[in-house]
Amino acid sequence: MDTQKTTSHPSPLTPHSYSSQQEAFWGGVKEAIGAPAIVLFAGMIGFGAMGRTNGLDLWFTGFCSTFMFALPGQIVLLDMIITHSSTLAIAVAVSLSSARFVTMTLTLFPQFSERDKSKGAFAAVHLLAMTAWAVSMREFPMIGSQYRRSYFVGLGLFCWLLALPGTALGYFLAGTVSKTITIGLIFINPLFFVLTFTEIKTNWSRLAVVAGAILGPILYTLDPDSSLILSGLLGGSAAYWIDRLFIRKPIKK
Amino acid sequence: MNPNIALDTTQLWIALISACVGTYFCRSVGVFLSGRVDQNSEFFLWLTSVTYAMVAAMTARMIILPVGLLSTVPLYVRLAVCAVTIAVMVSGSKRRLGPALLVGIFCLVFYESYFGV
Repeated sequence: MDTQKTTSHPSPLTPHSYSSQQEAFWGGVKEAIGAPAIVLFAGMIGFGAMGRTNGLDLWFTGFCSTFMFALPGQIVLLDMIITHSSTLAIAVAVSLSSARFVTMTLTLFPQFSERDKSKGAFAAVHLLAMTAWAVSMREFPMIGSQYRRSYFVGLGLFCWLLALPGTALGYFLAGTVSKTITIGLIFINPLFFVLTFTEIKTNWSRLAVVAGAILGPILYTLDPDSSLILSGLLGGSAAYWIDRLFIRKPIKK
Repeated sequence: MNPNIALDTTQLWIALISACVGTYFCRSVGVFLSGRVDQNSEFFLWLTSVTYAMVAAMTARMIILPVGLLSTVPLYVRLAVCAVTIAVMVSGSKRRLGPALLVGIFCLVFYESYFGV
């Protein structure tokens, strides 16, 4: 099943043949070293610098990167602190911005083998971020289900371990790095996600991405807090139904 | 701490810790429910579709309506950088994620150095 379409995309469809959990773990680490690590590290540098310029201390920014570990939510937090929002409003808005983790987990963890589903899952899920999710969704079809969990932990752990040093580096560099470089660092993040979208193989997922990308900014201008959930539900459902009614061949069961 | 910040230190930490708890709560709800989701079901397909749309919505928001420094770069420049990056990415049969990212960021930095405000 993995050999389909090998002519158009040779490298991403090569199956990974791991023979032990350790090998799968290091396979995940190896995947992390490269684009995912650069993207995450750059984002955290940007966050550290942003924190310092706005008068927060290193404890606060470091704690935030380590224990929240969700860059978009961290930026919402910082932005709301600066714009003088109340404690409660901040907590609600950040949690809503993290709602995507519910479905990110729900689309990733069921792909683990039955045996691994509960093993340390509540710890492993903290390592889940958009970067590790996007990479895992791309790579899982090429990995045997018994090795997916180890692969994911290797990938996620490496990224998570970079969060604190990246934030600290950004904190200390703030002010010394030019605005131009900072803008470059901040833009790596969204750019990486755009690129991972180009690697999506199924038509309905591509459709979902297009629908979400159109709805996201429109709904954001109407109500920032609920915009992500709404764009996900509306765009995703639309893509699903269009695919089911018009694109997919009648389901054979 | 700083005139920029209206909350005092205690309030700041309460906000931070509740934000962390809220974020972890979302993650753990996913784990809690994932035992009941079958990856071969129609529901799983729908959920994947919703997640892709959500992630795409967030990415589009970061590019089209950014907060902070990035908003000082004109929208057409941000979109042009994306277009160039995608072009590099799909220009060959092999994956070109690293080179595409480098070219994209270089273009943005180049623009900022010569035409930025």
